[in-house]
Amino acid sequence: MKDGLHQDRAGSTFKALRSLLPVLVILALIALVPLFSPSNRFLSLAISAGINVIALYGLSVLFGQTGILSMGHAALVGVGAYAAAILARDFGVGFWAALPAAALASAAFAMIVGIPSLRVGGHHFVIMTFAFGQLLAIVLTNGGDYTGAATGLDLAGPVTLFGADMSDLTRYYLMVVAFVTAAAVASWAIINSSYGRTLRAIRENEKLAASLGINVGRHKIGAFVVSGVFAGISGVLLAYFLGHISPSQFSSFPSIYLALMVMIGGARLIEGPLAGGILVAFLPEVLNLDPVQSRIVYGVCLIAVIMLLPDGLIGGIVRALRAVLSGKPKQETEQRNAAEARR
Amino acid sequence: MSPILAISGLSKQFGGVTALAGVDLTIEEGEILGVVGPNGSGKTTLFNVVTGVHRPSGGTVLFRGHDITGLKPHAISRAGIGYTFQQAMAFAGLGVLENVRIAGEHVGTGGTANPWPTPQALLDFVGLSAVTNEKAGVLPFGSLRLLGLALALATRPSLLLLDEPAAGLNDRETTALVGLVRQLPGHGISVCVIDHDMKLMQMLCRRLAVLDFGSKIADGPTETVLADPKVLEVYLGGDL
Ligand SMILES: Nc1ncnc2c1ncn2[C@@H]1O[C@H](COP(=O)(O)OP(=O)(O)OP(=O)(O)O)[C@@H](O)[C@H]1O
Ligand SMILES: [Mg+2]
Repeated sequence: MKDGLHQDRAGSTFKALRSLLPVLVILALIALVPLFSPSNRFLSLAISAGINVIALYGLSVLFGQTGILSMGHAALVGVGAYAAAILARDFGVGFWAALPAAALASAAFAMIVGIPSLRVGGHHFVIMTFAFGQLLAIVLTNGGDYTGAATGLDLAGPVTLFGADMSDLTRYYLMVVAFVTAAAVASWAIINSSYGRTLRAIRENEKLAASLGINVGRHKIGAFVVSGVFAGISGVLLAYFLGHISPSQFSSFPSIYLALMVMIGGARLIEGPLAGGILVAFLPEVLNLDPVQSRIVYGVCLIAVIMLLPDGLIGGIVRALRAVLSGKPKQETEQRNAAEARR
Repeated sequence: MSPILAISGLSKQFGGVTALAGVDLTIEEGEILGVVGPNGSGKTTLFNVVTGVHRPSGGTVLFRGHDITGLKPHAISRAGIGYTFQQAMAFAGLGVLENVRIAGEHVGTGGTANPWPTPQALLDFVGLSAVTNEKAGVLPFGSLRLLGLALALATRPSLLLLDEPAAGLNDRETTALVGLVRQLPGHGISVCVIDHDMKLMQMLCRRLAVLDFGSKIADGPTETVLADPKVLEVYLGGDL
């Protein structure tokens, strides 16, 4: 019995580690891109995509694991970005110290939004997060000199790591890749922990989860707060990358884009946020679309994904691969099950 | 012996509907109590109010002497009351093992000593060890009911409330279920079970309480209650 248990534990840990491996390999390859001397435009696009992916990993905990969709997620990124800019301006706080502070600020904002929003529950939550996102944009726009109003704030501080200036595009790119890796690992650790199981239980059946001792309300707010931490860090990286932030970057459209990216990529799989972030960033570039065309393409993609691939593009690909590789035996077990059930 | 659960004057109104009209009921330590009554008589509501799914309109619930009236469902579970739903439920999108693992990860201070130290041991107990690696959503109905029972047991309750646990089960499955439930008092788990199947109730319960229109109309040894004219009247033309 004991041995069986140990084997079981070891087996599931091994399985969990194996699920992380593809992402790590892909990220390692992505880190090698600068060797092929890519254009500055490519690097900038990749950095923006990476910064989004960090927020998406948080969104995947919220949406993929807990089953709650936030349509105001860019607002949480915005809180992080503004926190970084204001801390730098008023207190001379640099990049590294801004990271935990901004993460905290976004987490706190998530809690403030989450407590009333999750109380109303269900689909209303989506509308509440959307409304709070709009509200933040309005507050930032009308914040006078403190928030820089509609023009926003400049942030000119250097980013240094062990004395090296990271502002150089290639270095910033590598740093963002490192942050994406950390976000992926953090999200993977959550998914494979007891906490992750708790969130999935809530996603699957709140009533049953509560009957098993799970404080559903608290954990839903908790998941939103956790996603806020990812968003806050993403915001700091964004603010320091762009050197200038303004309210429109964090309003409804960016929020919808984030939701779209995580859905297209597949929110439940560890590869999903990475795939969604990269795809949505590079698709218009590859297909040579103007902004209006790309919005149409995204809209169509979203509808297609929702209707055809409930677990996202990557989920669909994985499922298709599995079906091809092991279609026969799976079908057999299913038939056996059906026979069993009929008896 | 003092009762494990003491319900007094418990009532519940849904708008104009009185689902429970001041029910007094005790569950003794180590017994299997049956609750019967016609459709809509308030049996499920009784469980829902005790387990915190609904707030009572009035009355009190004492669990091992502590007032648990109006606590939230998760707090009731952690206090040591487990329950299964009339509609069989599991986390359909998750694996059977993961289901049981989740259920065992939120045990509160009210939990009993653990007769089933691992999720696997619990699955063995309910007879689901063959489907450990399946998704809960693909299980046949009977197995889903057993999984629901395993989930409730995984919270290590000292009192287990079962709402029509045999509904939808075939004879073989029902017999297996009876065998399982009978073992529970031996593991320190008192049981209260709702069911319409009187044969099943006679097999399981020495004591029976009868609800009708939200009121308790009989409570006593199973044979006495089933011979009670008031009870017979309620079930006239029914399946008694
Ligand atoms: N959530 C609810 N909202 C409104 N009315 C309800 C609700 N739950 C139960 N009721 C009403 O309360 C009464 C008792 O219902 P309850 O489900 O407790 O009956 P029951 O004895 O469990 O019946 P059955 O044997 O069919 O399961 C019924 O009239 C029912 O319509
Ligand atoms: Mg009922």
